[in-house]
Amino acid sequence: MNRHLSLWCEVLRLSWRTAPGLTAGAYAAVAVSVAAVAAVGLSLRAAVDATAQGVAGTALLGAAGVAGAYALILVLHDLTAELVGTVSDRTGRMAVHPRVHRDINAVRGLEHLERGDFLDRVSLVRRSTGLIARSGWNAVLAVAHVLKLLVTVALLSGVDPVLLVLIPLAAVPVWCDHRGQRLVERAEVEGAEAYRVQQHLFDTLVSAAGGREVRVTGAADRLLRLRAGAWREAERVRFRARAFAALWTLAGWTVFVAGFTGGIALVVRLATEDTGGVGDLVLTVMLAMSLRQTMQSTVATAAEATGMRRVIEPYLWLRDHVRAERGRGAADGPAPDALSRGIALDGVSFTYPGTGRPALDEVSVLLPAGSVVAVVGEYGSGKTTLVKLLLSFYEPDSGRVLVDGRDLGRVSTEGWRARASAVFQDFGRFHTVFRETVGIGDLPRIRDREALRGAVRAADAGALLDRLPDGWETQLGRELGGTDLSEGQWQRTALARASMRGDPLLFVLDEPTASLDAPSEEAIFRRYMERARAHAAGTGAVTVIVSHRFSTVAGADLVLVMDRGRIVESGTHGELLALGGRYAELYGIQARAYAPASAPRE
Amino acid sequence: MGFLRNWPFLLRALGPAGPVLIVSLTMVRLLERIVPAVTALALAALVGVLAPPAAPGTFASALPPILVLGLVVLGGHAGEAAAAPLEYLARSRIDGAHRERIGRAASGSRGIAALEDTAVQVLLRQVRADPEHGVESTPGGGAVAALRWTCGLAGAVLTCAVLARFAWWLVPVVLVPAAANRYLRHRWSLTGADRWRLAIRGELHADVWRRASVSPGESKDVRVFGLGDWMVDRMQGHLVEANKPLWSHIDRTLRLQWLPLALVLAGLVPAYLLVTHGAVSGTTTVTVQTAVLAAGWSLYQALGSSADLFHMAGAARILSSTAELRRRLAAGGTVPESVRPEPFAGRVSMVRFEGVSFTYPGTDSPVLDGIDLEIRTDELLAVVGLNGAGKSTLIKLLCGLYRPTAGRVTADGVDVTAMPAERWRSRLAVMFQDFNRYELSAAENVLLGRAGPHDPEALEAAAEESGFAEVLERLPRGWDTPLSRGRTGGVDLSGGQWQQLVLARALYAVRGGGVPASLLVADEPTAHLDVRTEFALFERLARRRRETGIVLVSHRLSTVRRADRIVLLDGGRVTETGTHEELVALGGRYAGMFAVQAERFRTGPAGARGGEGSA
Repeated sequence: MNRHLSLWCEVLRLSWRTAPGLTAGAYAAVAVSVAAVAAVGLSLRAAVDATAQGVAGTALLGAAGVAGAYALILVLHDLTAELVGTVSDRTGRMAVHPRVHRDINAVRGLEHLERGDFLDRVSLVRRSTGLIARSGWNAVLAVAHVLKLLVTVALLSGVDPVLLVLIPLAAVPVWCDHRGQRLVERAEVEGAEAYRVQQHLFDTLVSAAGGREVRVTGAADRLLRLRAGAWREAERVRFRARAFAALWTLAGWTVFVAGFTGGIALVVRLATEDTGGVGDLVLTVMLAMSLRQTMQSTVATAAEATGMRRVIEPYLWLRDHVRAERGRGAADGPAPDALSRGIALDGVSFTYPGTGRPALDEVSVLLPAGSVVAVVGEYGSGKTTLVKLLLSFYEPDSGRVLVDGRDLGRVSTEGWRARASAVFQDFGRFHTVFRETVGIGDLPRIRDREALRGAVRAADAGALLDRLPDGWETQLGRELGGTDLSEGQWQRTALARASMRGDPLLFVLDEPTASLDAPSEEAIFRRYMERARAHAAGTGAVTVIVSHRFSTVAGADLVLVMDRGRIVESGTHGELLALGGRYAELYGIQARAYAPASAPRE
Repeated sequence: MGFLRNWPFLLRALGPAGPVLIVSLTMVRLLERIVPAVTALALAALVGVLAPPAAPGTFASALPPILVLGLVVLGGHAGEAAAAPLEYLARSRIDGAHRERIGRAASGSRGIAALEDTAVQVLLRQVRADPEHGVESTPGGGAVAALRWTCGLAGAVLTCAVLARFAWWLVPVVLVPAAANRYLRHRWSLTGADRWRLAIRGELHADVWRRASVSPGESKDVRVFGLGDWMVDRMQGHLVEANKPLWSHIDRTLRLQWLPLALVLAGLVPAYLLVTHGAVSGTTTVTVQTAVLAAGWSLYQALGSSADLFHMAGAARILSSTAELRRRLAAGGTVPESVRPEPFAGRVSMVRFEGVSFTYPGTDSPVLDGIDLEIRTDELLAVVGLNGAGKSTLIKLLCGLYRPTAGRVTADGVDVTAMPAERWRSRLAVMFQDFNRYELSAAENVLLGRAGPHDPEALEAAAEESGFAEVLERLPRGWDTPLSRGRTGGVDLSGGQWQQLVLARALYAVRGGGVPASLLVADEPTAHLDVRTEFALFERLARRRRETGIVLVSHRLSTVRRADRIVLLDGGRVTETGTHEELVALGGRYAGMFAVQAERFRTGPAGARGGEGSA
């Protein structure tokens, strides 16, 4: 609760800083709406009583007061919603949104993005920054509702203290409604999977990418049927919960209305016994009616607060996570300027959280300074995990990664990565202008024409650039009104991006040419080998190439053959062939396929 | 006012909810909407009983109006409570039917060109009626709002009747400013919605960086290149720019709030003063006064909430966009009515491209430029070419997904675009490079390879032959395992495992319902496979080529060379054709490409200290 309270205060402070005028307006609207509740009842009583007694001046003044109070209530009803909505929205977008994203990006590793349960929380927070801001204002509204209740209490007890029993009675529908809402929320979750399936099938049916195969296979009818079934499944679960919730609500209100009717009877009795006037009756009815509205708003606010807990808890979790990581004392050792010995793995083991089998199992190897190292192996053998550890995406469970003898765990992650570059198999596709999608490979030089041109040359992306309608300034991505790139073209932009940094100590190519045709692949390999040699001569840089294509790796200085998280063979291409092990066998299969006259056709 | 014009259409859109539901919902809403007026009447009746100096027995005569008051309030709550589930159900049924129609229309057009049209995709986004996808209004929401609004009018009529008990002219005194107020707010919310949509479109640019923070691919780049803070600044810049028009509109309406306040006062002040004056001077009773005071203001609420009018306008737009979408999809070409007699008894023996050219709509340069190509259905034909040579387009034309701009594709002499699409496509099995990954069970993923009833035997056989059976053994619930981590008990397959599944899907399609497919088309089927699996997969494909012809598109010339025939696409034309040996002997482009790939196996990559590894 305390953590929530301080979050709300923080949000309200942020609102004040982001939009002071609107924030002040919102507070004012909330305050006046509390006063208006009392004004309606009091002026009604005055008008009716004065009329009954024939006092024209007071009666007319009272009537004008009623009109004014109603006008305020009607206008403030919309105005408060609008003000609170827009203040929350702007605070969310301008203040909370950047904080959340800075937090997400500040996490150095990748765990939070690769574990389903982490990712769910992170995505939820990231999409709900408006709600987080809203939660602070929701608290303000809750306070206003309580004040309205207090005003009502004061007025009712003025008529007759017995009427105060209406207050606890009014809590009954609130409680019942809350029960019902819990059912609805649970059903939302319960129906979510069917709903997502339905969404996915619909998107497949109506997208061009999915539509091709749907047409050729004739799967449309079946997909439509499955979609409709999933939709009905979600509908069934969610309707049932709403029906039960309605019963709860109804039961709650029945209790309240019974009390309300009794209260009216009491006031009428008082009036007939001449201890009260008709004005008291009108006041009581109007207060009871507004009590119902206040209670309803309170219910809605409470329901909203429950919904927000779903967002706030993960947000607080994310902040704690980030804070804990910062608190652990980010290593601040400098990265070396150049490598003289190389990068060594010393008994490194790593198991992905939530899985049983280690992805890396006691791996020890030296990647010598200035070398090109190829990592080969079948799917799931741990190749990509190995390079991810080199880039500090994970910390080893045991063992160490040593950069020229320094434990990578003690070197500043940002500093080390600033001296690295990489292209991954699932490289990023940044739908921005081409210049930028390349330039972000080295932010300080993002506008450096010479560096950009060099990177494009290195990735053999010159022809691609020439074909872009607006050259460097071409927006990428059709949905943004730009140009769509093919798989191979995206790969080239990723390669160009990775080539922006001039003097990396570690250069990682993870399956870099899977979508390219033979001559392009060849051209790119020649260039990157040259680059690797150039880097090596300057700073002793290590280039790591992950591949399952043996043609790619034969020129490496060191080939590591991986299997089930271990390095099973290592050496130069020639040594491994001579060894006659797994590498020789797999290489043989491919090499024979290219051998001049031995086409193994049936 | 636009929503008046759309009103009948929206009420008609209630149809899929079913008559029982519509009638119950109407009754429930009517009950709830007349509460303010009836409450005022009951209260007035009570005041009427009490107003004269109290006499013995007054309390007894006050009991009926007290009970009525209680019942009315309870009725209002009951109506409100019951309306929630009923409205949900009505909305869901209407939206479900709507999405069904959209899905059917979008998947029913013959070719794919219509779906690739940006305008069509924009329309689809507008009409997809998915509130969990950031779409504000849906046809269901609009139709239900229209019903609610209609019932609200009934409440307004009753309130007017209460006012008319004092004097008929009191009705326009309150009603006219109330309507003006409603109209003003409606205009504001419409403008707001337009600006909001504009902002959403602008925010697409921010989304690029937003997604980058969490997607597995981009987030690695973000960390390697240290993009974190830079990205956030970019994102915020886009957000400010996108939302500026919306926010300035909201600021303006907030400054103009005195206008609605003036409109409410203009209606209520004269009415309340006149009635009170009448009651004091004795021209009317305190009963009427109380009724007017309590009911008058509710007229301002009875004319519909901004949200209702907003949803009605949004739904009306969706309905008209839907009509436009269907027109565009239908223009994409449907099956010609002149269905010919079955042109091939079972097996197609020859597919021919006759001078086929194709240019993508909206572009100038043809991707295919006069292709002549014969595909026999008892051979393994490989299609090679550089990136962008038109290989994928060729496949799409073969599947009838596009109509050639010139020339034709024939199956045993019959133009494939002149026969029903299903008939031609049932002769094909295709492995697309970007195949569909259905978030359904493994079994469904294979069965969706072709239309028609399930064939469990063919399913098992396809799994066996494709090698997917091995993957299947490791799945926790076998065929019933959902293939998505997001589903209960679901798993994610690796790229290679998916490719094996897709082969199983194609082989299941090949077995067909009775007559096996004549041609299996495989677009880069091995891109994600390692060496061993790639070769095994090729062997499996090659084995069937006598029963079912195979068209293989691949970059890997080590695989391609084993085809019966190879065609090279270059500049939109077939420039070389023959067996591997013939093409190598020809010494043309293919020979060059092959030499490049083979070279690395003889000497290692150029530029390396090659030589040590000749195989």
